[in-house]
Amino acid sequence: MSAKTSLLLLFLFVVTLGVLRCDRTAALTGKEVVQLSFWNGFTGPDGRVMLEMIRQFNRENPDVQVTMQRIAWATYYNKLMVSALDGRGPEVYVLQAAQLPRMDRAGLLADLTDVYDETLRADISPRMVARMNFGTPDRERLLGLPLDAYPHGMYVNVDMLRAVGSVNPDGTVHPPENREEFFKVAEAAMKLPDVDGAKIWGWGFGDWSYNFFTLVPQFGGQYVDADGVPTLDHPGNVAALQFLVDLHQKYKIAPPPQGGIGGWVGFRQKRVAMAFDGVYMLGDLKRLNDEQPDPQRKLNYIGVPIPQIGPKKGTYADSHALCVRSGLSDAETAAAKRFIRFLSDQSLAWAGAGQVPARKSVRESETFKSMQVQYAFSQQMDDILFPPRTPSYNQLAINIALAVESAIRGPTSAADALKKANEDYKRYLERDRMEQALYGHSDHVDATRSHGRGGAK
Amino acid sequence: MIAGQRRRWLEYVYLLPYGTAFLMFVALPFVVSLALAFCQYDLTTERPPKFVGLRNFSEALSDPFFWKAVGVTFRYVAWIIPTQIVLCVLLALGMNAMVNGQRTVRALLFLPGMFSIAVTGILWQWFYNQEFGLFNYLLKIIRIPAIPWLSSEQIAMPSIVLMTLWWTVGGSAAVVLTGLQQIPSQINEAAAIDGANPWQRFWQITLPMLKPVLLFMVVMNTIGAFQMFAQATLLTAGGPKQATRGVVQLIYDTAFGDYRLGYGAAISWLLFLLIAGFSLIQFRLIRKVAD
Repeated sequence: MSAKTSLLLLFLFVVTLGVLRCDRTAALTGKEVVQLSFWNGFTGPDGRVMLEMIRQFNRENPDVQVTMQRIAWATYYNKLMVSALDGRGPEVYVLQAAQLPRMDRAGLLADLTDVYDETLRADISPRMVARMNFGTPDRERLLGLPLDAYPHGMYVNVDMLRAVGSVNPDGTVHPPENREEFFKVAEAAMKLPDVDGAKIWGWGFGDWSYNFFTLVPQFGGQYVDADGVPTLDHPGNVAALQFLVDLHQKYKIAPPPQGGIGGWVGFRQKRVAMAFDGVYMLGDLKRLNDEQPDPQRKLNYIGVPIPQIGPKKGTYADSHALCVRSGLSDAETAAAKRFIRFLSDQSLAWAGAGQVPARKSVRESETFKSMQVQYAFSQQMDDILFPPRTPSYNQLAINIALAVESAIRGPTSAADALKKANEDYKRYLERDRMEQALYGHSDHVDATRSHGRGGAK
Repeated sequence: MIAGQRRRWLEYVYLLPYGTAFLMFVALPFVVSLALAFCQYDLTTERPPKFVGLRNFSEALSDPFFWKAVGVTFRYVAWIIPTQIVLCVLLALGMNAMVNGQRTVRALLFLPGMFSIAVTGILWQWFYNQEFGLFNYLLKIIRIPAIPWLSSEQIAMPSIVLMTLWWTVGGSAAVVLTGLQQIPSQINEAAAIDGANPWQRFWQITLPMLKPVLLFMVVMNTIGAFQMFAQATLLTAGGPKQATRGVVQLIYDTAFGDYRLGYGAAISWLLFLLIAGFSLIQFRLIRKVAD
């Protein structure tokens, strides 16, 4: 074959590919199909549920085609931020609500206030709506639509509860509801016979930071005061962290944080009776049991609210917010808003993936009530302490993580660790404030801005 | 004349692919990062970079996280360089003494270096896993308590060093072996006839003649070690308590986690100066030895 023939064939091949690549749906229907890219971090079983929801949307909306990109949360924000800044980012994406202020500061979020009709406003708690609002007292600017909340609760091994005699008169198990019952069950579980030579523990450390966040509201802790000044060394926070430290050091109901079995792994292996974790971990337990062919060896568990260990009830949660990138064309924005509204309306299906829907009507449905863990965790919705709203949330979380680690590993005391975290975080905020001043704009919320980067296509 | 001009023109054409890549991916980032180091540039705002003079540098020098990362980097360098050199010399001596199977052993030692760091990191994560890992399983068989390979502040860094040695020592040993094979055998034979024992021959002949190779390796490996990033990111993410977060990871966290590109660029230039200083000292040492 001569070089000329080869080049001609190559040219024809490229042209053919180009023709095939062209959107033929538009030609067939006579309408232009809006393509939306949707990014999220649902890389677990929840991603499969989301994919099914998207397929349904695509079937019901032939003029819009959504494609989903799942990226592990560990690198998700990095990729999202860099691509969005360059105008190559997805049209629709999921943000953990704590990340909203930062993305707003970068000017990457479209105003979704008009998505909130009367139905939505009646169905989503004002607290959750307020977390989406970056406007002024007289003008709302809602930058996300909350799809769910993911409160942390307690997973309990039912067989161990029975073994230690924590049973109601009607024969059902009685999970711990307060401090006294929590310790009673944990201490009794410690006395259960070893499994395959391994010791049984009453409770186990999960993600240390999240364990801390979970306990903070119970001890009346807070991260910033009403004026936005950091209070990481608040006495309530110190008490919560001290309690966490004491679970191993003083009460000896938890495996050593360094060198001992992890709480979640231990719970899966039936070596830990109780573990605090998020509702999203349900998918992991379901998969564990699905992969176990022997019914006798399946993990027998339930989810319950966090027992009231401190002076009041409380737990940690954040929520997944559906967001639309700023600077899209009108057609894209309209399609994106229709898509996120669809996902919100379908949040019962989403609950099946191991989430607590933001929509009250869904939480009150009989189908949702039959979802044991999700429903039990949702009972804490009124006692949730959400993460603070600040563009510097990542720095706050890093400083807290270091403090919690220092205290749990020792020898730093809880008070000293949190004091240092507070000083470091204050220093960071001060530097951030100075940098923003250099730019000539005081940060946090610039309510007048309606468009961000990446001009309209 | 015309042929000479054409040849010169062709030289530039041949250089073009590499030259373009060099300009785009080395020279341009080099200049941009230098400019950024003197600017405040926060990706999470909509403002362009703003000149701030030496502020990023002075901030870095008073930042405890920077100094902690510098300390971690030095600790890593102090662990990895001597162990790597000693180990690869021993392995090379062993291979050099082998009559049969030298090539097979060399290939086997070299094999880990052919894995990408991502594969190596994931593999060793499993080796080090406290519950299900290979190492603790083996320790359990001989009734030694499990070791918190990656969750102990004291052990995490040696664990990273161990993995890096497994990954890199084969390549270094192959270089030293080549150096050993360049030493004329007559010198060793003459020394043996004169009554020098193997130990004396190693100290008086082999090691001095290997010095240029070893010094070259020390320089190159030190430059690489100062840039330690992937191992710690994959195994410990810089933890526990930032005990394994080196300067490059701090740069990454600052520039691509915190989106402070100016400050990140300033730290990367400080690291560059550090490496350049060390390399200069080491090169002078080499020149002295070569002379």
